[in-house]
Amino acid sequence: MPNVIVNRVKEFLHRFPPFSFLSDQLLESVSREVELMYFSKGEYIFKKGNPASPHFFVLKEGSVYLTDEDSGKMVVKDYCDEGEVFGALALLGQRPYVLNSYVAEDTLLYAVPVAVFDKVLKENSEVSLYFAAGFAAGQVVVRTDLSQSQKARKLLRDASSDHGLSLFMEEGKLNFPTEVLSCQLGVTVGDAAKLMYEKGVGSIAILNQRGYPVGIITDKDLRNRLVAAGLPYTTKVEEIMTSPVITLHHQSDFPSIYLMMIKHRLHHLILTEDGTTDSKITGIVSDHDVFLSHGNSPAVLIHALMNTWNVQEMRGIRDRAESLLGYFLENEVAIDFVASIMSEINDVIIKRAILLAKKKLDKDFEEESKVPFCFLSLGSEGRQEQLLRTDLDNAIVFQDVPIDQLPRTKLYFETLAQEVIETLIACGYHPCPSEVMANNPDWCQPLSVWKSYFHDWVNLPQEEALMKATIFFDFRPVHGHKQLSEEMTAAIYRMVDQKPSFLSFLAKNALLNPPPMGFFKNFIVEKSGEHQDQFDIKLRAMMPLADAARILALSHSVSRVNNTFERFEKLAELEPQNASLYQEARSAYEIFLRLRALEGIASGTSGRYITPRSLGKLQRQLLKNAFSPIHKIQELLTVRFQTDYIRS
Amino acid sequence: MVKRYEEKFEQKISKKLPISELNFVVLDTETTGLDIKKDHILAFGAIKIIGNRIKVDTAREHFLKSSKKSASSIKIHEIIQPANALPLREFVRSLLPYLGNDILVAHHAGFDLAMLEKATLPFGLRKILNPVVDTGDLAIRLEHGIRYDPSRINLKDYSLDALCDRYKIPIHDRHNAAGDAFLTAQLLLKLLKEAEKKGINTFGDLMRW
Repeated sequence: MPNVIVNRVKEFLHRFPPFSFLSDQLLESVSREVELMYFSKGEYIFKKGNPASPHFFVLKEGSVYLTDEDSGKMVVKDYCDEGEVFGALALLGQRPYVLNSYVAEDTLLYAVPVAVFDKVLKENSEVSLYFAAGFAAGQVVVRTDLSQSQKARKLLRDASSDHGLSLFMEEGKLNFPTEVLSCQLGVTVGDAAKLMYEKGVGSIAILNQRGYPVGIITDKDLRNRLVAAGLPYTTKVEEIMTSPVITLHHQSDFPSIYLMMIKHRLHHLILTEDGTTDSKITGIVSDHDVFLSHGNSPAVLIHALMNTWNVQEMRGIRDRAESLLGYFLENEVAIDFVASIMSEINDVIIKRAILLAKKKLDKDFEEESKVPFCFLSLGSEGRQEQLLRTDLDNAIVFQDVPIDQLPRTKLYFETLAQEVIETLIACGYHPCPSEVMANNPDWCQPLSVWKSYFHDWVNLPQEEALMKATIFFDFRPVHGHKQLSEEMTAAIYRMVDQKPSFLSFLAKNALLNPPPMGFFKNFIVEKSGEHQDQFDIKLRAMMPLADAARILALSHSVSRVNNTFERFEKLAELEPQNASLYQEARSAYEIFLRLRALEGIASGTSGRYITPRSLGKLQRQLLKNAFSPIHKIQELLTVRFQTDYIRS
Repeated sequence: MVKRYEEKFEQKISKKLPISELNFVVLDTETTGLDIKKDHILAFGAIKIIGNRIKVDTAREHFLKSSKKSASSIKIHEIIQPANALPLREFVRSLLPYLGNDILVAHHAGFDLAMLEKATLPFGLRKILNPVVDTGDLAIRLEHGIRYDPSRINLKDYSLDALCDRYKIPIHDRHNAAGDAFLTAQLLLKLLKEAEKKGINTFGDLMRW
């Protein structure tokens, strides 16, 4: 067979998934069997209900709409342009076609025989996942299973140069000793040190009579608590050990280990059989192990932040955190893990900024500085979803004080907030354009004023009030008295409970931004059929999901969970009948968040506006699939909160 | 060999057969030159269209052993005698069953047909019996009507390159027999669709000039 012809076919197919995953040899065997077909505008390639043809199709040139009839009208369900694979449902299920394929422009197709592809499906897991995950056109209408998409992303990762494939998660490789040096309570520190010397390790676990961990001693403890303190070597280990120890289950994945160490600023984390201190030790992870596994670890950055008062240095560290973020994203670390790391880093910076401000101001406000307060992060930062340094959204709540003390107390906190905001801006954060920040007198208020705000918003749910509710209801205490923020939360739930119709208004508001259908020839295809050049991923994809999660969480009075991933997880638990939809919504949100951060890093912007042209085919298909749960969630909101009966 | 080939034409293709049920074999030859008397075939490429589909698995490419080496044509086509070149007899032996009674299609078909007849003559076949469609002529007929005035046609507009350009077929692998056959097949697919729009639906419609 002539190579020129087969090569020509191969060359085209190779540019598009799933063919891009095939080995040269396999691609050649597929290319040899291809048939070319030509259709002119207005024809149908197949019609709904037709038996499956023994081929599926790859669009070479032209365009095809996959359509369905809805009460006598033709509705476009999906668009196919160059490189799109369609008609593949038949390939997988041997079912009749579920959609019509209408030729919108003269179209040249490659028809790939199912017979030759069966072999490929069996031999190539990436290809079978591509189809199982619903990447082919028209598939998404029938079934979406984003958990399959997730798997697909992971597997398809190395298989193509397509940019879309940098969307995968992977757990870090962590090596740590599983044989842990230990000694019993009652042993002298001198003997323990000898054991450490013999084994050449920097730490020793202390066990009780049952052999369970009760403490740990490190090189540093020997120096600080024994030698420097002038204690004799005959001191018992229990007198200088760090106790109790923090433990995790021995099968914990890397992100949980990592997160636990960062949260508790641990140098050593002990792994036990059942995760509690009431079981045997199975391993010990040191921050050094983590460091080695990651090179530039967040723990190191946080440590550096904790050790400087210099704003320039803080900014430098935050910049490094951004490269770390890029590294995480490229390495497909789980996005919720990445988000919590970045939030942790942001939180440390805020805390340092507050301490810096207090150092400067407290001497002039001796009484006022004793008033309990809480610094709150709002919006995406409140939800722990801010990966890049986008706009600051924050507020201060302080305890009510007698009326005569209020002006000066308010002055103190406003001045404090001003200092904090200035430090944060110097660290590279951007001020909120609508001034939702703690230095705005409106958003630096005693608890009673916050409660009255919430009362007004809930009872007079006009556009402005609803917009504020979406920002302010996602508050999270970052520094200070958590009890104040808990009282705020309790107040909100009480008010919403008393006025359930508020949720309907909130839901109506959340439905204002329907997601688009997908992409077609570098255009965003709206449900209405309009096009636009750039896609606002925040407004059109992320907000609808974040809003829905908030409303649903509020309706269930789920408190203390304000992260969108966690909200959906919680909802899946509370409503088992909708669990799969919520899981899909969670996955979709993860896809959007990651994509936005990648776009932001690549373009040096907030990543909010995405140019479809810059996306690879697979990435577009992935995005398109991720739009699907938004539609379904919005339908659920419409029905549950009866938004059709509300006039706005 | 020749007898078996000729037998296939005892029954003629029905004029009423729709085009979608016809078998076409689209071919191209590369030759030592343009003189039918002196020159001969160096390479043959072909691909079939069955049921309006170009079937990649039907594609053929043969290189012929050449006794005469013409420097000029080698220059044009950059054909270097490949190792798997066939002797003429073997080429003809595989060619005739492949052609069967399919409709032959080529661009400027007269020349390719004459070259093939010259190749098959030594083995007792005096005439290629297959119906023939010339993509150049078909394009002119579709664009200017069946009773066009030849003096008004600029033949340059109907070269394979010009037509590929007009019918939006990306040009690759030109001056390679199989490459040209593939381009011609894509052109035919598009021309047949045009023909259908003009009411040319059957074998009879297609062959009536």
